[in-house]
Amino acid sequence: MKHHIKFKVNGDEYSLAVDPWRTLNEMLREDLNLTGTKLGCGTGDCGACSVMVDGRTVSSCLTLAVSVDGKTIRTVEGLAPSGEELHPIQEAFVKTGAIQCGFCTSGMEMAALNLLSKNPSPTEKEIRAGLSGHLCRCTGYNQIVEAVAVAAEKMRQTRLAEEEK
Amino acid sequence: MKQFSIVGTDVPRNDAEAKARGSAIYTDDIKLPGMLYGRILRSPFPHARIKRIDTSRASSLTGVKCVITGEDTPKIKYGNWRLFPDTQDEYPLAIDKVRFIGDEVAAVAATDKDIAEEALELIHVEYEELPAVFDVESAMQPGAPIIHDYCPSNVSVNRKIEYGDVEKGFAESDYIREDTFTVHAVSHAYLEPCAALAQADLDGRVTLWTSTQTPYIVQCLLASTLNMRENDVRVIKPFVGGGFGGKMELRTWEFCAAFMAKLTGRPVKFTLSRTEEFLAGRRRHPMKLRSKVGFKKDGTLVAKDLRILLDGGGYNAMGPTATFLCGNFGAMLYRYPNYRFHGEHVYTNKPPASAMRGFGAPQSLYATETQMNIAAEELGIDPIDLRLKNAQVSGDEIPDVATISSCGFVESIKAVAEMSGWKEKRKNLKPGQGIGIGCYSFISGGVFNWFNTQYPFSAAEVRAFSDGTVHLLTMASDIGQGSDTVLKQILAEELGLTMEDIRITSADTAMTPQADLGSWGSRVTLMAGNAVIDAARKIKQQLFGAVSARFNLNVIHEIECKNGRVQSKVKSKYGMSFGEAVAMVQKANRGEPLVARGSYTPRDKGLVTPAFGFGAQVAEVEVDRETGLVEVKHMWTAHDCGTVINPRSVEGQLAGSIQMGLGYALSEQFVMDGGTTLNTDFADYKMPMAMDMPPSEVVHVDTYEPEGPMGAKECGEGLASPTAPAISDAVYHATGYRCMDLPITPEKILKSLENGRSQEK
Amino acid sequence: MRLPRFEYFAPKTLKEALNLLADQGEGAHVMAGGTDIVVKMNHGRLKPKAIVALEAIDELDHIHFRATDGLTIGATARLADVASHPDVLNHYPALAEAILTMANVEVRNMGTVVGNLCNAAPSADCAPPLIVMGAQVVLSRLNGERSLPLDQFFKGPGLTAMEPGEVVTSISVPVPPAGSAASYKRISGRCGVDIAAVGVGAMVMFDGDICKEARIVLGAVAPIPMRATKTEDLVQGRQWTPDLIEKAGQEASEESKPISDVRASAQWRKAMVAVLTRRVLQEAQARATRS
Repeated sequence: MKHHIKFKVNGDEYSLAVDPWRTLNEMLREDLNLTGTKLGCGTGDCGACSVMVDGRTVSSCLTLAVSVDGKTIRTVEGLAPSGEELHPIQEAFVKTGAIQCGFCTSGMEMAALNLLSKNPSPTEKEIRAGLSGHLCRCTGYNQIVEAVAVAAEKMRQTRLAEEEK
Repeated sequence: MKQFSIVGTDVPRNDAEAKARGSAIYTDDIKLPGMLYGRILRSPFPHARIKRIDTSRASSLTGVKCVITGEDTPKIKYGNWRLFPDTQDEYPLAIDKVRFIGDEVAAVAATDKDIAEEALELIHVEYEELPAVFDVESAMQPGAPIIHDYCPSNVSVNRKIEYGDVEKGFAESDYIREDTFTVHAVSHAYLEPCAALAQADLDGRVTLWTSTQTPYIVQCLLASTLNMRENDVRVIKPFVGGGFGGKMELRTWEFCAAFMAKLTGRPVKFTLSRTEEFLAGRRRHPMKLRSKVGFKKDGTLVAKDLRILLDGGGYNAMGPTATFLCGNFGAMLYRYPNYRFHGEHVYTNKPPASAMRGFGAPQSLYATETQMNIAAEELGIDPIDLRLKNAQVSGDEIPDVATISSCGFVESIKAVAEMSGWKEKRKNLKPGQGIGIGCYSFISGGVFNWFNTQYPFSAAEVRAFSDGTVHLLTMASDIGQGSDTVLKQILAEELGLTMEDIRITSADTAMTPQADLGSWGSRVTLMAGNAVIDAARKIKQQLFGAVSARFNLNVIHEIECKNGRVQSKVKSKYGMSFGEAVAMVQKANRGEPLVARGSYTPRDKGLVTPAFGFGAQVAEVEVDRETGLVEVKHMWTAHDCGTVINPRSVEGQLAGSIQMGLGYALSEQFVMDGGTTLNTDFADYKMPMAMDMPPSEVVHVDTYEPEGPMGAKECGEGLASPTAPAISDAVYHATGYRCMDLPITPEKILKSLENGRSQEK
Repeated sequence: MRLPRFEYFAPKTLKEALNLLADQGEGAHVMAGGTDIVVKMNHGRLKPKAIVALEAIDELDHIHFRATDGLTIGATARLADVASHPDVLNHYPALAEAILTMANVEVRNMGTVVGNLCNAAPSADCAPPLIVMGAQVVLSRLNGERSLPLDQFFKGPGLTAMEPGEVVTSISVPVPPAGSAASYKRISGRCGVDIAAVGVGAMVMFDGDICKEARIVLGAVAPIPMRATKTEDLVQGRQWTPDLIEKAGQEASEESKPISDVRASAQWRKAMVAVLTRRVLQEAQARATRS
């Protein structure tokens, strides 16, 4: 039996009938065409499918779509404030060379967002811990770790700038 | 040395912003109207005869649109060594026999994924199990199960190299060392599982979007297996989530997508699961290497005899090339006046091994470098000094194989010793601490043409526009390594334009010039880079003519493209903007667009490669002597990749190599029970994570490769080799455990420590 | 990679959930965070007829600490929330440490402590620290409630004392006695996403330099997280010496009953039990004497 669910993704409201065995990952990619969220393993081990549900990152491959009824979801497509501007995390990923094949990127960015929202000034070790569970086969992680540090700095500064206003 | 303005700078990747936004489209992201979802039925047996397949129940399931088995296909074998059809041993779907657990038996296309999956369960296959063999030595025994009828010995490829007089060399040696090493299979573990989507056009052409490193090879082999002409097949490479050698052949799902799209008239998409990738995916060759080396007392190398058995699994895949290359890598790094190699590629009933980052080098050099470290200790010579004594230098000749052009090996060894504080650290190790070294050399693409292409190895087309922009078209494939960006940088440098002035279309066999052999063997920067320069120079020639004519310049005036202008080198006022110059040429040709084609095929470069990269790496480890767990504390690398075109990209390649090397040395392996792979997910296939990565430092040794574009050559693939021997040597110095069979596990270390303790007693 | 067909229920109250379980019978499966269940379904190892999700039941989502009664963790309290809870960090640091070794941020954001226990993997990281701290499992069914010491909850890999129709509603952990402390350590080949190849938890209580009480639990070396009772007997009532710790390690190693599998050999696991037992005892002792 399909369940009627309502939820928000990146500020847009959706109302959908879904089978209970459908995962959030499938719903985002197949029904909503939000293909920025990837599927790397299907067992919650690689992190490529991470999205935010009600402010915390989850593996969309392990989340049943029915369970997001009434919730607010943010995916990589909802990171940038506009088509022109990038989110500081995205900007840092671009600038530092943290992106090679790009398949882990959206998950990594969501992990960075999750980390920086809780800990705006992480140490290198905390960044590495925050990214653990996210696999990357191209970069060796170092430039990703650097990107998160660069983004943290930028976000701290803009927050300061906001406060001064 | 030449001064560059764009080459050598940290230009952000061409595609980085799209990837950061999640808007880059990978194969599985594409959905076409009416699209069907495909799934593959795989063999549960390592070796069995297929007696009967009943697909009727699957076919009658609602939503199933097509079910095929090998019998429904044109039954044409394929393989990348087209020049030697005997080596082409694989059918898209098994005919008569299956040869490993996971071998592809049938395929289903249905209106949704779940139905396709359900249909697989309804296909009934009757198998007759056959005796199977899982290791090379057993497979080579007389009376062993024959895996391919054409090959009763199970040895599908034999490769020999010999020069000098090896026996005489050993007779003249003061110190001879003979060791046997075994190295294991590891997974490419690219993050994007393989996927392919095909659509049959109304006029009979098939278009295939696929996650591949080699669109041209897929185009040719897909055409032949479908019994079509090359031009009837169009292959498009969307964004690719990594390859590392695992996506450079025609694969079953690519064939099935195309074949079933033709049969059904509807687009068909296949996407592999991670379980399928681990269960049946290609992998790095396990090898057994017996190496004998002879030295003079002073450490001078005299002779080497190398015998390698490659465990190929059920099919050849890229095994023939790996067999060839591991023998060549055995003769690299040091001067061996007398060298003999015999490599044999052996069939077993395991998933086929194939190309993987380093392509025979990580295995071959693990033996070379570990043995070098053993010999250094026994000869009482510091491993750095022993290497410096024997290191290959520019101009060295490997008989019949290659002459080394640019070579920064000696400088790399010295640099890495210096930056790691080698001599001091080696002297002051505490128990459990160790420091070790490993080196590498690697090819910048191959000069061999076993694929038997009739086209240039790389090609480029440059279209220039009067708005001051150009369009670069190339079949070279960016699979995440950043080749689109590097090729744009080379073109921008050559034409004096900015990155923003260049548009690129790549890796679409119907749109980009014939041909490019693909992204493997670290060939793209050198080969496609040279093709780009060739095309750019032809454009410049026409622009220079127009500018000379416009300003009535004497023939002795040298003209250049610089800062968006085409101008006299000495008097820049004699010149005009790039766009104006293009407009002039166009006008002179009655509106004909200004287009030039360029190409590169290596010539007179021996048997292997136009240019070699070199480097050295030092690892520092700490071993917990109670648990046997190894922590890599620091890595230092000095390497020679010629001109560095994009420093951040080079450093990214390096760090990525260390991650893979770390896994190869310490944690990654397929746990097999006979032909069954026991670890089929990332929870148990232990790839290093962000927390596992050591801090690392790198020095780029400054060289200029005359054959390379703007002096550049190989980078990133050779670096897959030194990490394991460096860590292994460091572990030896920390614990006394010398690893002769990778990977280095806590259990092996503990056992060795216990043996050491019991000997002391 | 296809989830089986099942019905999905997301009751708002415990009563509703228990009614649903009673109605649905054997084929119904309770789900908290889903991180284990969805993987099992994905691999075809679990084919429930119905899933009863506890997530929407407010009364199960709690973490409470009272200086008189100790800690209670509700069935839907997330691993991440437990690990960062100030009272947990203060009074039960070994539990927080155990959680932080588990999987990755996403799984800790989704998964629950109770779910980790109900999944009953021999390697469940929450089990050893909770057992040594004397945790009790509270089970509810339609006609009542019962509680059970956690070390009697596990019956085998994937098997628990839970009866059909029952739901574990919370875990309660007593206030750590004065002079006591606990520790948990595990070993695996990697830092991040990983499953413990061996895990050991210990709680020790001191009177001067005499160990009055010791509880030691070994993870991933037997079909269930196992009490190392012989080792406990060896340590209890003794004076704390390096020799005692050495012997305790050996005893625990002998008591353990590991198997060889894809993650490690039985032999290495046994050796690691000795190492980890020594290390957790040392750490627990250091903590106990510090406090």
